[in-house]
Amino acid sequence: MTENGVYVYAFIPEGEVLSADAVGVGSPPAPLRLVGEGRVIAVVSDAPPQLRARRRDLMAHQEVLLRLSDSGPVLPMRFGAIAPDEESVRAQLSGSQAELLATLSHLEGAVEINLKALPAQNALAAVIAEEKNVRRLRAAVRRRPDYEANVRLGEAVATALSRRAADAGKKVLHKLTPMARAVVPGPEVHGCALNVSFLVDRSESDTFRATAQRFADAHRERVELRVAGPLPCYSFVSSQNLRTPVAGG
Amino acid sequence: MTTTMYADEVAPCPPRAGTLYDVLELILDRGMVIDVFIRVSLVGIEILKIDARIVVASVDTYLRFAEACNRLDLERDSGSTTIPELLGGGAAKSIGKRKVRKAAESVGDTVRKAVGSGDDEDEDEQEERPKKRRAPARDGASRRRRAEA
Repeated sequence: MTENGVYVYAFIPEGEVLSADAVGVGSPPAPLRLVGEGRVIAVVSDAPPQLRARRRDLMAHQEVLLRLSDSGPVLPMRFGAIAPDEESVRAQLSGSQAELLATLSHLEGAVEINLKALPAQNALAAVIAEEKNVRRLRAAVRRRPDYEANVRLGEAVATALSRRAADAGKKVLHKLTPMARAVVPGPEVHGCALNVSFLVDRSESDTFRATAQRFADAHRERVELRVAGPLPCYSFVSSQNLRTPVAGG
Repeated sequence: MTTTMYADEVAPCPPRAGTLYDVLELILDRGMVIDVFIRVSLVGIEILKIDARIVVASVDTYLRFAEACNRLDLERDSGSTTIPELLGGGAAKSIGKRKVRKAAESVGDTVRKAVGSGDDEDEDEQEERPKKRRAPARDGASRRRRAEA
Protein backbone atom coordinates (compact mmCIF):
# COMPACT_ATOMS: atom_id res chain seq x y z
CA MET A 1 0.00 0.00 0.00
CA THR A 2 1.67 3.23 1.04
CA GLU A 3 5.26 3.20 2.15
CA ASN A 4 4.85 6.04 4.66
CA GLY A 5 1.87 4.61 6.47
CA VAL A 6 -1.69 5.84 6.85
CA TYR A 7 -2.44 9.25 8.33
CA VAL A 8 -5.53 9.07 10.56
CA TYR A 9 -7.64 12.23 10.95
CA ALA A 10 -10.71 11.14 12.83
CA PHE A 11 -13.26 8.51 13.67
CA ILE A 12 -16.83 9.07 12.58
CA PRO A 13 -20.05 7.03 12.68
CA GLU A 14 -20.79 4.77 9.76
CA GLY A 15 -22.95 6.27 7.05
CA GLU A 16 -21.06 9.54 6.77
CA VAL A 17 -19.63 10.20 3.34
CA LEU A 18 -16.73 12.31 2.15
CA SER A 19 -17.00 14.78 -0.66
CA ALA A 20 -15.16 13.50 -3.71
CA ASP A 21 -12.56 16.27 -3.65
CA ALA A 22 -11.74 16.08 0.05
CA VAL A 23 -8.00 16.24 0.69
CA GLY A 24 -5.71 16.25 3.70
CA VAL A 25 -2.06 16.67 4.63
CA GLY A 26 0.90 16.62 2.28
CA SER A 27 2.01 18.50 -0.78
CA PRO A 28 0.20 17.96 -3.02
CA PRO A 29 -2.60 17.26 -0.53
CA ALA A 30 -3.45 13.58 -0.30
CA PRO A 31 -7.02 12.51 -1.12
CA LEU A 32 -9.07 11.32 1.85
CA ARG A 33 -10.66 7.90 2.12
CA LEU A 34 -12.65 5.91 4.63
CA VAL A 35 -11.47 2.74 6.33
CA GLY A 36 -13.55 0.23 8.25
CA GLU A 37 -16.76 -1.73 8.01
CA GLY A 38 -18.17 -1.56 11.52
CA ARG A 39 -20.32 1.10 13.10
CA VAL A 40 -17.35 3.43 13.40
CA ILE A 41 -15.12 4.30 10.46
CA ALA A 42 -11.81 6.12 10.17
CA VAL A 43 -11.01 9.04 7.89
CA VAL A 44 -7.50 8.56 6.54
CA SER A 45 -5.14 9.43 3.72
CA ASP A 46 -1.72 8.27 2.65
CA ALA A 47 0.84 9.82 4.96
CA PRO A 48 3.33 12.13 3.24
CA PRO A 49 7.02 11.38 3.59
CA GLN A 50 8.73 13.23 6.44
CA LEU A 51 5.60 14.59 7.96
CA ARG A 52 6.28 17.37 10.44
CA ALA A 53 4.08 19.90 12.18
CA ARG A 54 4.21 22.41 9.36
CA ARG A 55 1.74 25.20 9.26
CA ARG A 56 0.31 23.87 6.01
CA ASP A 57 -0.28 20.41 7.41
CA LEU A 58 -1.68 21.66 10.71
CA MET A 59 -4.17 23.74 8.75
CA ALA A 60 -5.04 20.76 6.55
CA HIS A 61 -5.66 18.57 9.60
CA GLN A 62 -7.84 21.22 11.19
CA GLU A 63 -9.71 21.86 7.96
CA VAL A 64 -10.57 18.18 7.48
CA LEU A 65 -11.93 17.99 11.01
CA LEU A 66 -13.93 21.20 10.67
CA ARG A 67 -15.58 19.93 7.50
CA LEU A 68 -16.37 16.60 9.09
CA SER A 69 -17.90 18.25 12.12
CA ASP A 70 -20.25 20.20 9.87
CA SER A 71 -22.01 16.97 8.97
CA GLY A 72 -22.00 14.97 12.19
CA PRO A 73 -20.14 13.91 15.31
CA VAL A 74 -16.39 13.52 14.93
CA LEU A 75 -13.74 12.03 17.17
CA PRO A 76 -10.65 14.06 16.22
CA MET A 77 -7.22 12.50 16.33
CA ARG A 78 -4.31 14.48 17.65
CA PHE A 79 -2.19 15.90 14.84
CA GLY A 80 0.30 13.48 13.36
CA ALA A 81 -1.14 10.01 14.07
CA ILE A 82 0.19 7.51 11.55
CA ALA A 83 -0.88 3.88 11.41
CA PRO A 84 1.46 1.37 9.78
CA ASP A 85 -1.27 0.25 7.38
CA GLU A 86 -5.04 0.08 6.91
CA GLU A 87 -5.13 -3.31 8.55
CA SER A 88 -4.03 -1.87 11.88
CA VAL A 89 -6.65 0.87 11.59
CA ARG A 90 -9.33 -1.80 11.10
CA ALA A 91 -8.01 -3.76 14.05
CA GLN A 92 -8.16 -0.65 16.20
CA LEU A 93 -11.73 0.08 15.10
CA SER A 94 -13.01 -3.38 15.86
CA GLY A 95 -11.10 -3.57 19.12
CA SER A 96 -12.50 -0.38 20.64
CA GLN A 97 -15.79 0.06 18.80
CA ALA A 98 -17.97 0.25 21.89
CA GLU A 99 -15.86 2.93 23.51
CA LEU A 100 -15.58 4.96 20.31
CA LEU A 101 -19.34 4.77 19.81
CA ALA A 102 -19.99 5.93 23.35
CA THR A 103 -17.73 8.95 22.94
CA LEU A 104 -19.22 9.80 19.55
CA SER A 105 -22.69 9.81 21.05
CA HIS A 106 -21.48 12.15 23.81
CA LEU A 107 -20.22 14.53 21.15
CA GLU A 108 -23.38 14.43 19.05
CA GLY A 109 -24.54 17.97 18.31
CA ALA A 110 -21.68 19.54 20.28
CA VAL A 111 -18.71 21.74 19.45
CA GLU A 112 -15.66 22.82 21.39
CA ILE A 113 -15.10 26.46 22.22
CA ASN A 114 -11.74 27.48 23.62
CA LEU A 115 -11.26 30.48 25.82
CA LYS A 116 -7.99 32.12 26.70
CA ALA A 117 -7.55 34.95 29.14
CA LEU A 118 -4.45 37.10 28.74
CA PRO A 119 -3.28 40.20 30.55
CA ALA A 120 -5.05 43.24 29.15
CA GLN A 121 -3.09 45.14 26.54
CA ASN A 122 -4.22 48.70 27.16
CA ALA A 123 -4.52 48.59 30.88
CA LEU A 124 -1.50 50.44 32.21
CA ALA A 125 -3.46 53.54 33.15
CA ALA A 126 -6.12 51.43 34.81
CA VAL A 127 -3.48 49.50 36.72
CA ILE A 128 -2.00 52.71 38.05
CA ALA A 129 -5.38 54.11 38.91
CA GLU A 130 -6.65 50.99 40.66
CA GLU A 131 -3.61 49.28 42.17
CA LYS A 132 -2.42 50.85 45.38
CA ASN A 133 0.87 49.04 45.43
CA VAL A 134 1.75 50.22 41.94
CA ARG A 135 0.85 53.79 42.82
CA ARG A 136 3.01 53.67 45.91
CA LEU A 137 6.04 52.28 44.07
CA ARG A 138 5.55 54.74 41.28
CA ALA A 139 5.57 57.61 43.74
CA ALA A 140 8.77 56.20 45.23
CA VAL A 141 10.42 56.11 41.82
CA ARG A 142 9.42 59.66 41.17
CA ARG A 143 10.89 60.79 44.46
CA ARG A 144 14.09 58.90 43.87
CA PRO A 145 14.55 57.37 40.46
CA ASP A 146 16.98 54.47 40.59
CA TYR A 147 17.43 51.04 39.10
CA GLU A 148 16.12 49.01 42.02
CA ALA A 149 13.04 51.13 42.43
CA ASN A 150 12.27 50.84 38.74
CA VAL A 151 12.60 47.07 38.82
CA ARG A 152 10.26 46.90 41.80
CA LEU A 153 7.73 49.13 40.08
CA GLY A 154 7.86 47.15 36.85
CA GLU A 155 7.52 43.87 38.69
CA ALA A 156 4.49 45.18 40.54
CA VAL A 157 2.91 46.20 37.25
CA ALA A 158 3.56 42.80 35.68
CA THR A 159 2.18 41.04 38.73
CA ALA A 160 -0.89 43.23 38.79
CA LEU A 161 -1.59 42.66 35.08
CA SER A 162 -1.40 38.88 35.55
CA ARG A 163 -3.48 38.85 38.69
CA ARG A 164 -6.17 41.04 37.18
CA ALA A 165 -6.36 38.73 34.15
CA ALA A 166 -6.54 35.65 36.36
CA ASP A 167 -9.31 37.14 38.50
CA ALA A 168 -11.33 38.13 35.46
CA GLY A 169 -10.69 34.68 34.00
CA LYS A 170 -12.20 33.06 37.08
CA LYS A 171 -15.24 35.25 36.78
CA VAL A 172 -15.86 34.51 33.13
CA LEU A 173 -15.32 30.80 33.76
CA HIS A 174 -17.94 30.93 36.47
CA LYS A 175 -20.32 32.69 34.12
CA LEU A 176 -19.83 30.41 31.12
CA THR A 177 -19.62 27.03 32.83
CA PRO A 178 -23.40 26.67 33.32
CA MET A 179 -23.84 27.17 29.57
CA ALA A 180 -21.59 24.23 28.68
CA ARG A 181 -22.08 20.47 28.69
CA ALA A 182 -18.55 19.98 29.98
CA VAL A 183 -15.47 22.02 30.78
CA VAL A 184 -11.82 20.98 30.76
CA PRO A 185 -8.62 22.94 31.29
CA GLY A 186 -6.50 23.32 28.17
CA PRO A 187 -2.78 22.70 27.91
CA GLU A 188 -0.54 25.20 29.64
CA VAL A 189 0.13 28.14 27.34
CA HIS A 190 2.84 30.53 28.39
CA GLY A 191 1.42 33.94 29.17
CA CYS A 192 -2.19 32.80 29.47
CA ALA A 193 -3.90 33.41 32.79
CA LEU A 194 -6.57 30.92 31.78
CA ASN A 195 -6.89 28.40 28.99
CA VAL A 196 -10.05 26.35 29.07
CA SER A 197 -12.25 24.48 26.62
CA PHE A 198 -16.02 24.17 26.77
CA LEU A 199 -18.20 21.52 25.18
CA VAL A 200 -21.20 23.45 23.94
CA ASP A 201 -24.34 22.53 22.04
CA ARG A 202 -23.83 23.59 18.46
CA SER A 203 -27.11 25.47 18.56
CA GLU A 204 -25.90 27.39 21.63
CA SER A 205 -22.49 28.32 20.33
CA ASP A 206 -23.49 31.78 19.06
CA THR A 207 -25.10 32.65 22.36
CA PHE A 208 -22.06 31.34 24.19
CA ARG A 209 -19.68 33.44 22.14
CA ALA A 210 -21.86 36.51 22.50
CA THR A 211 -21.86 36.10 26.27
CA ALA A 212 -18.08 35.82 26.28
CA GLN A 213 -17.81 38.89 24.07
CA ARG A 214 -20.01 40.95 26.38
CA PHE A 215 -17.84 39.97 29.31
CA ALA A 216 -14.71 40.85 27.31
CA ASP A 217 -16.12 44.27 26.47
CA ALA A 218 -17.03 44.99 30.04
CA HIS A 219 -13.65 43.91 31.43
CA ARG A 220 -11.23 45.07 28.80
CA GLU A 221 -9.15 46.95 31.33
CA ARG A 222 -8.54 43.75 33.23
CA VAL A 223 -8.30 40.99 30.68
CA GLU A 224 -8.02 40.23 27.02
CA LEU A 225 -10.25 37.30 26.18
CA ARG A 226 -9.78 35.22 23.09
CA VAL A 227 -12.52 32.91 22.05
CA ALA A 228 -11.89 30.31 19.36
CA GLY A 229 -14.59 28.12 17.97
CA PRO A 230 -16.72 26.32 17.11
CA LEU A 231 -13.90 23.78 16.92
CA PRO A 232 -13.70 20.02 16.52
CA CYS A 233 -13.98 18.51 19.99
CA TYR A 234 -10.24 17.97 20.50
CA SER A 235 -10.46 18.25 24.26
CA PHE A 236 -13.39 15.89 24.74
CA VAL A 237 -12.27 12.72 22.99
CA SER A 238 -12.33 10.56 26.07
CA SER A 239 -15.68 9.66 27.59
CA GLN A 240 -13.97 9.84 30.98
CA ASN A 241 -13.18 13.52 30.82
CA LEU A 242 -16.67 14.61 29.91
CA ARG A 243 -17.58 15.20 33.53
CA THR A 244 -14.27 16.50 34.76
CA PRO A 245 -14.73 19.81 36.53
CA VAL A 246 -12.16 22.50 35.97
CA ALA A 247 -9.62 22.54 38.73
CA GLY A 248 -9.32 25.86 40.48
CA GLY A 249 -9.77 28.07 37.45
CA MET B 1 -18.08 29.32 10.85
CA THR B 2 -14.94 29.12 12.90
CA THR B 3 -13.58 32.49 13.75
CA THR B 4 -11.50 34.01 16.43
CA MET B 5 -12.56 37.14 18.13
CA TYR B 6 -10.40 39.57 19.93
CA ALA B 7 -11.39 41.60 22.88
CA ASP B 8 -9.99 44.82 21.61
CA GLU B 9 -7.87 44.28 18.57
CA VAL B 10 -8.49 43.62 14.95
CA ALA B 11 -7.33 40.15 14.06
CA PRO B 12 -3.98 40.43 12.29
CA CYS B 13 -4.66 37.50 9.99
CA PRO B 14 -7.62 35.99 8.17
CA PRO B 15 -9.99 34.11 10.47
CA ARG B 16 -8.76 30.64 9.52
CA ALA B 17 -5.16 31.49 10.17
CA GLY B 18 -6.14 33.28 13.33
CA THR B 19 -7.92 30.17 14.44
CA LEU B 20 -4.85 28.03 13.98
CA TYR B 21 -2.82 30.57 15.88
CA ASP B 22 -5.11 30.34 18.87
CA VAL B 23 -5.76 26.61 18.86
CA LEU B 24 -2.35 25.25 18.00
CA GLU B 25 -1.89 23.67 21.40
CA LEU B 26 -5.21 21.87 21.05
CA ILE B 27 -4.28 20.38 17.69
CA LEU B 28 -0.90 19.28 19.04
CA ASP B 29 -1.79 18.33 22.62
CA ARG B 30 -5.42 17.26 22.56
CA GLY B 31 -7.34 14.92 20.30
CA MET B 32 -7.37 11.17 20.45
CA VAL B 33 -4.15 9.21 20.73
CA ILE B 34 -3.94 5.52 19.82
CA ASP B 35 -0.98 3.74 21.32
CA VAL B 36 -0.27 1.51 18.34
CA PHE B 37 -0.15 4.43 15.93
CA ILE B 38 3.07 6.31 15.47
CA ARG B 39 3.01 9.95 16.38
CA VAL B 40 4.88 12.34 14.14
CA SER B 41 7.94 13.77 15.80
CA LEU B 42 7.46 17.29 17.02
CA VAL B 43 11.16 17.94 17.17
CA GLY B 44 11.98 20.91 15.01
CA ILE B 45 8.35 21.91 14.80
CA GLU B 46 7.68 25.31 13.32
CA ILE B 47 6.23 26.63 16.50
CA LEU B 48 3.65 29.32 15.97
CA LYS B 49 3.77 31.09 19.24
CA ILE B 50 0.50 31.92 20.85
CA ASP B 51 1.37 35.53 21.02
CA ALA B 52 4.23 37.96 21.01
CA ARG B 53 2.43 39.91 23.68
CA ILE B 54 3.04 37.65 26.60
CA VAL B 55 4.07 39.19 29.85
CA VAL B 56 7.57 37.97 30.44
CA ALA B 57 8.82 38.05 33.98
CA SER B 58 12.28 39.45 33.57
CA VAL B 59 14.15 42.47 34.75
CA ASP B 60 14.15 43.80 31.22
CA THR B 61 10.37 43.62 31.01
CA TYR B 62 10.03 45.19 34.44
CA LEU B 63 12.17 48.12 33.40
CA ARG B 64 10.04 48.68 30.35
CA PHE B 65 6.91 48.61 32.45
CA ALA B 66 8.47 51.05 34.87
CA GLU B 67 9.49 53.32 32.06
CA ALA B 68 5.98 53.29 30.68
CA CYS B 69 4.60 54.04 34.13
CA ASN B 70 6.93 56.96 34.54
CA ARG B 71 6.00 58.23 31.15
CA LEU B 72 2.30 58.16 31.91
CA ASP B 73 2.35 61.23 34.10
CA LEU B 74 4.26 63.25 31.54
CA GLU B 75 2.21 62.42 28.54
CA ARG B 76 -1.32 63.25 27.84
CA ASP B 77 -2.59 60.35 25.83
CA SER B 78 -0.97 57.56 27.67
CA GLY B 79 -4.06 55.40 27.45
CA SER B 80 -2.69 54.09 24.21
CA THR B 81 0.38 52.58 25.79
CA THR B 82 0.12 48.92 24.95
CA ILE B 83 2.18 45.99 26.03
CA PRO B 84 3.40 45.30 22.48
CA GLU B 85 4.88 48.75 22.48
CA LEU B 86 6.45 48.17 25.84
CA LEU B 87 8.02 44.96 24.64
CA GLY B 88 9.21 46.92 21.67
CA GLY B 89 10.04 45.87 18.20
CA GLY B 90 8.20 43.81 15.66
CA ALA B 91 5.05 42.88 17.51
CA ALA B 92 4.08 46.43 18.16
CA LYS B 93 1.44 47.72 15.88
CA SER B 94 2.31 50.90 14.13
CA ILE B 95 0.65 53.89 15.57
CA GLY B 96 0.08 57.32 14.18
CA LYS B 97 2.71 59.98 14.18
CA ARG B 98 0.58 62.91 15.05
CA LYS B 99 2.20 65.25 17.42
CA VAL B 100 0.95 65.65 20.90
CA ARG B 101 -1.42 68.52 20.85
CA LYS B 102 -1.16 70.03 24.25
CA ALA B 103 1.34 70.49 26.95
CA ALA B 104 1.43 67.91 29.66
CA GLU B 105 -1.08 68.30 32.43
CA SER B 106 -0.81 67.49 36.08
CA VAL B 107 -0.36 63.88 37.10
CA GLY B 108 -3.84 63.46 38.45
CA ASP B 109 -5.47 64.96 35.41
CA THR B 110 -3.48 62.83 33.06
CA VAL B 111 -4.25 59.59 34.77
CA ARG B 112 -7.90 60.41 35.20
CA LYS B 113 -8.07 61.37 31.60
CA ALA B 114 -6.29 58.25 30.40
CA VAL B 115 -8.57 56.03 32.42
CA GLY B 116 -11.67 57.83 31.37
CA SER B 117 -10.96 58.27 27.72
CA GLY B 118 -9.91 54.72 26.96
CA ASP B 119 -7.66 54.25 24.00
CA ASP B 120 -6.84 57.01 21.69
CA GLU B 121 -4.75 54.76 19.52
CA ASP B 122 -3.76 57.31 16.95
CA GLU B 123 -1.82 59.41 19.33
CA ASP B 124 1.91 59.21 19.10
CA GLU B 125 3.98 58.08 22.01
CA GLN B 126 6.55 60.75 22.53
CA GLU B 127 9.69 59.86 24.36
CA GLU B 128 10.23 61.76 27.54
CA ARG B 129 12.79 61.52 30.25
CA PRO B 130 11.56 61.36 33.78
CA LYS B 131 11.40 64.70 35.59
CA LYS B 132 11.77 66.85 32.50
CA ARG B 133 9.34 68.75 30.48
CA ARG B 134 8.77 67.72 26.93
CA ALA B 135 11.09 69.03 24.30
CA PRO B 136 9.42 70.24 21.12
CA ALA B 137 7.98 67.16 19.48
CA ARG B 138 10.03 65.63 16.74
CA ASP B 139 8.89 63.15 14.21
CA GLY B 140 8.68 60.07 16.36
CA ALA B 141 12.25 58.94 15.73
CA SER B 142 13.15 58.73 19.36
CA ARG B 143 9.99 57.34 20.76
CA ARG B 144 11.31 53.96 21.83
CA ARG B 145 14.42 55.19 23.52
CA ARG B 146 14.81 53.60 26.88
CA ALA B 147 14.99 55.58 30.04
CA GLU B 148 18.43 55.57 31.44
CA ALA B 149 18.20 53.04 34.19
